Amino acid sequence: MSAVAELRPPQKDPGVRRRPKRWGPVSASEKRDAKAAIFFLGPWVVGLLLITVGPILASLYLSFTDYSLLEAPSWIGLENYERMIDDARLHTALGVTFRYVFVSVPLQLVAALALALVLDRGVRGLAVYRSMYYLPSLLGGSVAVAILWRQVFGTDGLVNQVLARFGIEGMGWVSHPDTALGTLIILNVWTFGAPMVIFLAGLRQIPEMYHEAAAIDGAGTVRRFFSITIPLLTPIIFFNLVLQFIHAFQSFTQAFIVSGGTGGPADSTLFYTLYLYQKGFANLDMGYASAMAWLLLAIIAGLTAVNFFASKYWVFYND
Amino acid sequence: MSQHLTPSASATRTGRAPRTSRRRALAATAAAAAAGLLLTACGGGDSGLAPADRETSEATAAEGPVELRFSWWGSDSRHALTQEVIDLFEAENPNITIVADYTSWGDYWDKLSTSVAAGDAPDVITQEERYLREYSSKGVLQDMSALDALDLSTIDEEILAAGNFDGGQYGVPTGINAYAVIADPAIYEAAGVEMPDDETWTWDDYIEVTTAISANTPDGVYGAQDYGFNEPGFAIFARQKGEELYTADGSLGFSEETLAEWWEMSLELQTAGATPPATKSVEVENGGPEMSLVGTGQGAHSFFWTNQLGALTSAAGHDLELLRHPGEADGERTGMYFKPSMYYSISADTEYPVEAAMFVDFLLNSTEAGELILSDRGLPANTEVREAVQDSFTPVDQQASQFLEDLGPVIVDSLATPPVGSGEVVNIIKRINEQVLFEQITPDEAAAQFMSEVESAIG
Amino acid sequence: MTDSLTVTEKPVTAPGPHDSAPPRRIHRKASPARRRVKSLVKHALLITFGLLMLYPLLWLLASSFKPTSLIFRDPSLLPETIDMSNYTGGWTALSHPFGRYMLNSAIVVAGSLVGNLLSCSMAAYAFARLKFRGRSMLFAIMLMTIMLPIHVVIVPQYILFSELQWINTFLPLIVPKLLATDAFFVFLMVQFFRGIPKELDEAARLDGCGHIRTYFQIMLPLAVPALATTAIFTFIWTWNDFFSQLIFLTRPDMHTVPVALRTFVDATGETSWGPLFAMSILSLIPIFIVFLFGQKYLVKGIATTGIK
Repeated sequence: MSAVAELRPPQKDPGVRRRPKRWGPVSASEKRDAKAAIFFLGPWVVGLLLITVGPILASLYLSFTDYSLLEAPSWIGLENYERMIDDARLHTALGVTFRYVFVSVPLQLVAALALALVLDRGVRGLAVYRSMYYLPSLLGGSVAVAILWRQVFGTDGLVNQVLARFGIEGMGWVSHPDTALGTLIILNVWTFGAPMVIFLAGLRQIPEMYHEAAAIDGAGTVRRFFSITIPLLTPIIFFNLVLQFIHAFQSFTQAFIVSGGTGGPADSTLFYTLYLYQKGFANLDMGYASAMAWLLLAIIAGLTAVNFFASKYWVFYND
Repeated sequence: MSQHLTPSASATRTGRAPRTSRRRALAATAAAAAAGLLLTACGGGDSGLAPADRETSEATAAEGPVELRFSWWGSDSRHALTQEVIDLFEAENPNITIVADYTSWGDYWDKLSTSVAAGDAPDVITQEERYLREYSSKGVLQDMSALDALDLSTIDEEILAAGNFDGGQYGVPTGINAYAVIADPAIYEAAGVEMPDDETWTWDDYIEVTTAISANTPDGVYGAQDYGFNEPGFAIFARQKGEELYTADGSLGFSEETLAEWWEMSLELQTAGATPPATKSVEVENGGPEMSLVGTGQGAHSFFWTNQLGALTSAAGHDLELLRHPGEADGERTGMYFKPSMYYSISADTEYPVEAAMFVDFLLNSTEAGELILSDRGLPANTEVREAVQDSFTPVDQQASQFLEDLGPVIVDSLATPPVGSGEVVNIIKRINEQVLFEQITPDEAAAQFMSEVESAIG
Repeated sequence: MTDSLTVTEKPVTAPGPHDSAPPRRIHRKASPARRRVKSLVKHALLITFGLLMLYPLLWLLASSFKPTSLIFRDPSLLPETIDMSNYTGGWTALSHPFGRYMLNSAIVVAGSLVGNLLSCSMAAYAFARLKFRGRSMLFAIMLMTIMLPIHVVIVPQYILFSELQWINTFLPLIVPKLLATDAFFVFLMVQFFRGIPKELDEAARLDGCGHIRTYFQIMLPLAVPALATTAIFTFIWTWNDFFSQLIFLTRPDMHTVPVALRTFVDATGETSWGPLFAMSILSLIPIFIVFLFGQKYLVKGIATTGIK
């Protein structure tokens, strides 16, 4: 720790955001950077060109075709995209997905951050608690989840047993069109382990000396939380936000397993990717599924761009 | 990569060259579109090591070692016994190796369609009626009647017909099932209701019995599980009225009124408390046999496939009874039918059609194989094998087998092979039934919606 | 909650065995009694909430010791008798002993670990610390690659890998990881690298370190939490990943744990719930152990790992 302090030039105030750096004229160091970039980005570029880009472009091409998987695709132009305009189930799927994303992502992140703060330090048996809270996430996509969820939210599940103690008659929460999506949101919040771990790692990366310096300046707990912990954690909060958004839009496995692949009851959990999957693999309409995928990509990319744009105003970087 | 651009000898032989080459061309073009760079980078890289790279064969039996891929779906017990059958076949045919390719039911179709898309289909493919026509119409399967190594004379005409359409035998039924009522005598007894005579009972009797049981048993025990989630039950109902779910030429063969009446009745049962509330119905439907009402002692009877008797009996923990559908005696005709539980098909692309045919022949016609398979793939379609191995069935399977045996004379004909696109119907009917049960739509609206959705699905 | 950040290291609540952070300053001194009560309340809350979260898992564990026929009839969490037959039977129920599937999964996981840790951190270093033309565009492209659902890219991928004769090998599952195709981890490490004070590597640069030495000797040691996170997630996600393993591995002797688990389920017939639950529990053990031991590296922050 002292080594760090020695290496560091005089302390800067972390609360003050630095101006973003301008792209200057090409200097020697930038030439060196460009050379190094070729080395460091090499594997990624190879992977991108050989493995990633091909299938992505293929799916773009297929979105303009009628493709059953069993026969060669035939070009139909924009027809798949035109069909999406009148596809009522697609609209249902969009509605379900948006509701899911905008409710479950904030809830999950708040839960993850709160638990990460509690489990950061200062409690005996941290390792056990962390593991305990992480355990549900290990199970997230298992085939057993469908059964487990019934044990909690089914007609004879845990929730109803507890409600019955208070004389309230429950219902089959997983299998009612009004509440099924809610249980999936809870399922997602339940598996907050991944963002929690990332928050934990992020908290530990905040240099101790910031806290110490602030403490010497007489800042209290709350003050330091808001002016040191939170600002220095913003890159990680931002990361979790962006990634959880992307993941939530593509959320598939849990709805697939809990609803037995149908998105039921009565399409109330018909996630976008679940409908896409049904179209592609059950109805063998991969052309349409590909078109749906590109619409989804446009939506996610748009929202991610908004996210990045907004990040300029609240994310603090150390560089 | 060149083998994907030239039609194989076997494809030419079966007269399907245009289609096959088109599909193979797809594999090449899609891959080229996908990774032009890669293809040029390793254009000379045909290593000849993987199975996909085999030399093409002539119509005669191949010399030297042969490797066939055999795909099926099912649970662990089926995998274990199928592996035994494969071992037996390999012992008798030392030059043939059979590679097992199995998955659970839900995953099977994703994997199969993906491998077909890549021109990498298994040689022997297990099929199901909902997708059989889809795959054959796209040229994926070959006409098995042209394969001499496969003896089909042992299979009942009527049953064989289910895999025969568009001028060829594209699938051979492995065995048969029937959609029937499975009842728990213990619950009847507890409710003080007499078991119905299944040769004469009507739909009115069904409603009466089901409602009475619900009324006479404690809360949480019901007369029956809702029947509206899948289409075989409706197919039988329609046939009893002289209609059909699908006609032989692949269009809808029933009237909107009949379907509305069917859903009307299901809703009446729910309102009367004879079947559980909608949420519970959805829950048990998704739970499979183990969590069904009959399986957990919460229901007196429900509609199931005869091959589910085993799962239900072990879940219930005591003997259950098989009953015929209500309405068989007083309808215009009987509606029940034998359904091929699955089909064996042979890929149009296989390099070894002769060996594939030999293997299917072994699965169907060998008593030794029959002794292992028993009723796992339905009551064996080969009647000689059936008789030879019947005594080895478990008591439950003997019960089911006897039921099917007795049913034989009553059954008029089998269902027409469902049209292309009917794979979607299972989801459509489930969703619309949920809307009916939650009273989001009326039975009349449901019937109209079902017909228009299915019509657009089967195009 | 924020209290935990400050009022920590006192003799009453000694740091946990894995909490290797140095003692912090204490700003407000609370009386030992008050602190003890607070600590008790905190533990009580943590345990209650934790048990609530663990209920489904406990149910799974309990059910794995019951015969299949009892699982859905007897809801109790404490089985009357411990029946190990699901474990012994489930281990050998499939065409290969379950250990074979675990070994296969372990191979895929090992390859993915090496790949993600090395290639993703390299790419992240470039994005976080190097200035080059088109950096933001490449970064955007990288993010876009994770925005398409797998279901539409899997078929072209399959065709590609089948052209390469890679189907039924572990290559389609490992090689992409070696080539940093998992943009999630690249992005993750970019965020962590950017959180490391730039003065540290600038100082190293002044001492004559090139980028490669800076990356290996400064950035990687400082990014241990990020590497640990990557390792833990790679392990868990690969261990659980099912769709691509299902599609690319068709031979039973190549099956991995998630693929094998699903073969216990038969939606049309009899599902072996007991063995499925038992093997699910068994397959959770390795990832649980990895997490239990791996999580201590999460706490090795900049303060403790620094340059020695």
